[in-house]
Amino acid sequence: MPHIRLENITMRFGDITAVSDIDLEIRDGEYVTILGPSGCGKTTLIKIVAGILRPTDGKIFVDGKDVTKVPLEDRDTGYVFQNIALFPHMTIRGNAEYGPKVHSVEEGQAESTADEYLRLVDMLDKAGHFPKELSGGDQQKAALARALASGSRMLMLDEPLSALDARVRMELRYEIRRIVKRLGITVLHVTHDQEEAMSVSDRIILMRKGRIFETGTPLDMYRSPKSIFAAYFIGETNLMECTVESKRKGGGVILRLRNDVPVNVSKSKANVGEIAILSVRPEHVYTATDGLKAHVRDVVFMGTYWRVRTEAESQDYVDYNIPADSQVPEIGEEVYLVFNKKASRVFKRPKEGLTEAIKLE
Amino acid sequence: MSLIDRVDDASSKRGVKRAWLILVVLIFLVLIILPSVYVLFEAVSQWDLISGVASDSGKMAVIWGAVGNSFSIAFIVTIIDVIVGIPMAWLMVRKNFPGKRYVDTLIDMPLAFPTAALGFSVAIFWGVPQGLDVPGLGIVLSPYVLVILLHLIFTYPYMVRTLSGILEQLDPNFETAGMTLGASRFTAVRTITLPLFRAGLVTGFILCFARSLSETGGTYIALSLIGKQSTFFTGPTFISELKHQAGSQAAMPELILISVLLIVFALLMLFVAKMMMDKVKIPWSKVWPKFERRISRGLAVKMRNGLSSLFLALFIIIPSFFIFSFLLIDGPLPDMAGLFKAMGISFLVAGAATAFDIVFGIPMALYIARNKDKSLGKALDMLVNVPLIIPTTALGLSLFLFWSSASLPGLVLVILGHISFTYPLVVRNVIGAVEEVDPSYEEIAKTLGAKPFQAFRKVLLPVIQSSVLAGSILAFTRSLGETGATIAIDPTINTVPIYIVNLINKFTEFNNPDYAYQAAVASITLTAVCFVLMLAVKYATRRKLGGLRHD
Ligand SMILES: Nc1ncnc2c1ncn2[C@@H]1O[C@H](COP(=O)(O)OP(=O)(O)OP(=O)(O)O)[C@@H](O)[C@H]1O
Ligand SMILES: [Mg+2]
Repeated sequence: MPHIRLENITMRFGDITAVSDIDLEIRDGEYVTILGPSGCGKTTLIKIVAGILRPTDGKIFVDGKDVTKVPLEDRDTGYVFQNIALFPHMTIRGNAEYGPKVHSVEEGQAESTADEYLRLVDMLDKAGHFPKELSGGDQQKAALARALASGSRMLMLDEPLSALDARVRMELRYEIRRIVKRLGITVLHVTHDQEEAMSVSDRIILMRKGRIFETGTPLDMYRSPKSIFAAYFIGETNLMECTVESKRKGGGVILRLRNDVPVNVSKSKANVGEIAILSVRPEHVYTATDGLKAHVRDVVFMGTYWRVRTEAESQDYVDYNIPADSQVPEIGEEVYLVFNKKASRVFKRPKEGLTEAIKLE
Repeated sequence: MSLIDRVDDASSKRGVKRAWLILVVLIFLVLIILPSVYVLFEAVSQWDLISGVASDSGKMAVIWGAVGNSFSIAFIVTIIDVIVGIPMAWLMVRKNFPGKRYVDTLIDMPLAFPTAALGFSVAIFWGVPQGLDVPGLGIVLSPYVLVILLHLIFTYPYMVRTLSGILEQLDPNFETAGMTLGASRFTAVRTITLPLFRAGLVTGFILCFARSLSETGGTYIALSLIGKQSTFFTGPTFISELKHQAGSQAAMPELILISVLLIVFALLMLFVAKMMMDKVKIPWSKVWPKFERRISRGLAVKMRNGLSSLFLALFIIIPSFFIFSFLLIDGPLPDMAGLFKAMGISFLVAGAATAFDIVFGIPMALYIARNKDKSLGKALDMLVNVPLIIPTTALGLSLFLFWSSASLPGLVLVILGHISFTYPLVVRNVIGAVEEVDPSYEEIAKTLGAKPFQAFRKVLLPVIQSSVLAGSILAFTRSLGETGATIAIDPTINTVPIYIVNLINKFTEFNNPDYAYQAAVASITLTAVCFVLMLAVKYATRRKLGGLRHD
């Protein structure tokens, strides 16, 4: 099972630098998602790994061998396109057989290989259909079978689920993970959907403006993001400007929000006296009889819980969640908010300013 | 209330809309379709005379020979176009290379040349036997091969353009997907891309075939220059030679017979091609990975690209431009006043025909594009192709017979004839553009209160106007370069191609190279005019692309 290593990969299209200076290592059989805002270079990166694009600079190693100049058709890297791209003039079986056939596998053998993978994705009964006769979800399953049947040990998925409806998307993403894990295939999966990334990957690569911004396991990225951008992009968070007033020996930190409102948290990356950014996820904000005074501005039902938006006396908007069956506060009502100390993160104030630090392009 | 306001108001009345549609369809049927195929009816009514010719085995041998030459040449030319056109189209769409823009312009270049000028240029490039004092290669060719070499030039751009148009719309991901599965480039193109653009291949096939079948002036001139114009015939040159020799009613039964044969076989060909579009399969399921891999790489690719470029240069571009070598030598200028008068007539005919095409062609295109699922829409869509596929010489003769009892002036008849074969060019272009516009734009405009004509003017027209312009300029240049139809209708209407053909006739008659020189100068002048117009097409269409896309 292949191990992929990228060294200093840069890709320029004319004046545009789509991807710059990427160093990355992916272990055998690892399931890695690439997450990032639109236009940050995700597609470009996996196309380079697959050999569809040749990088302007840098090298790609598979199992220690430099494959940068190996032509596309010899890369043995499966690629599943966002728009699926099943060959419209061939049946599903014809599509799945294509890989084995062009690898000089005999006719009968090619068909049985195709069928084996179609069975794996549970599409064998639809093998005789043409792509346009199938639903989007089935088409994507067939595309997956086609990629696997060609014998690829590495799989690139470019937003394979984004054109499907929510229910199918959810089922299919676990299905894909189950299959590739069983086969022990190394996967790079590009997605916009952070929930998808969180739930299927061994590791997330967060990209921004053509660079890798942060990597980590889903849980680490959620619990202790290293940057404000990661905190903001992965999961949801309330961001508040503050100053670090004091740090106690025991580990507690006292912050002052705007209008001198005090808040206690467990730890801080910023030093005493510095201006900093406090990040608290809505699920870590609770109401109490005392704390940060705020007025309810909006209440929205999110499907399984309520999202309450408040305006705090520190002039920040602070969101929190309450269970679906609980009493909903009235608009304009006064509430007192407290933050989960351990789950609150304090970042140094970014030099470029907060808005710039979380900008999506 | 201005005229346009009145038209706006009227356009929302049901009755007015219906009457307008009926008018447009009637004009199409009576002025264009019926005259184009009228000769078929005439043949039936004059059967006695025609059967006289049909039983004359000597005459029939010549007629069958001419028809056979026409169709076999058209077929060979088209097959060569397919073979050399596919790699070129692929190269132009999928690859970037330095100087691509110039190659792109070069491919279109022969379209800017009137075929009369091309016939001249090709004949002197590939060689003239009896020592005409011009720089030639001196290779003596059979007339059959010479005509093939000539027809390749003006059909090649059609093939490359049609194929690259379709290729551009095909998602390149199909090919890439094939390659990620391990297919070599050649395998992927053959098994995935080619089957997907079968429709484009058939369209390109029909266009090239029809164009070759139809061509008169250039072929006649090329044959004259090698002294074979009265011994070797294609269908159209047979008609013009008869017209030239007899100039009267004398040979009418022969003319009718050969026109009928040309029309019937051409329509049959169209029908078979349409059938092929659905039936014939390009073999894709079998693959030869090792062999195909070898020809997808390195030397094989370089050779293919090299041969494609060589073909373009040696068989298309250089022979087209060879006529300009006349500028290097001195000779007597043609009668310039006569040439400019001919130019004036050419412009008058082309202008009138194009104006007609725009006024009555756009509504027809709109109707067809928006009603493809209705039977009238389908029928009109098919019928519009008819004048495109019929050889223009046969069409001209047919039209001449149709109007013969009306005693219209020759100029009017020639204009009507030119309308017939240019009308489909405008209509097809506009249909293509309208089909790409989402009908909901117009509907939105109407829900906002726009009258139908207003919605057309304000919403649709701005979007399709560059296609209208492109279609119009295509029609205009095609009319400027047309020889066959004009000869068949009224050879005394002295358009520039007729002017050139007359000079060539004098040259063969008196064997005086001065006439050839003058014909060359006239050809160069006409080419220059067409060339400027062609640049205008390029500019217009490029602006359109610039507006819609970023690249
Ligand atoms: N072939 C190309 N030519 C020119 N620029 C390109 C090309 N492909 C990508 N780019 C540019 O490179 C940048 C990165 O594009 P890429 O498609 O990799 O982004 P992405 O992260 O996949 O975005 P999305 O989420 O919208 O799919 C963009 O600015 C894009 O415009
Ligand atoms: Mg992308």
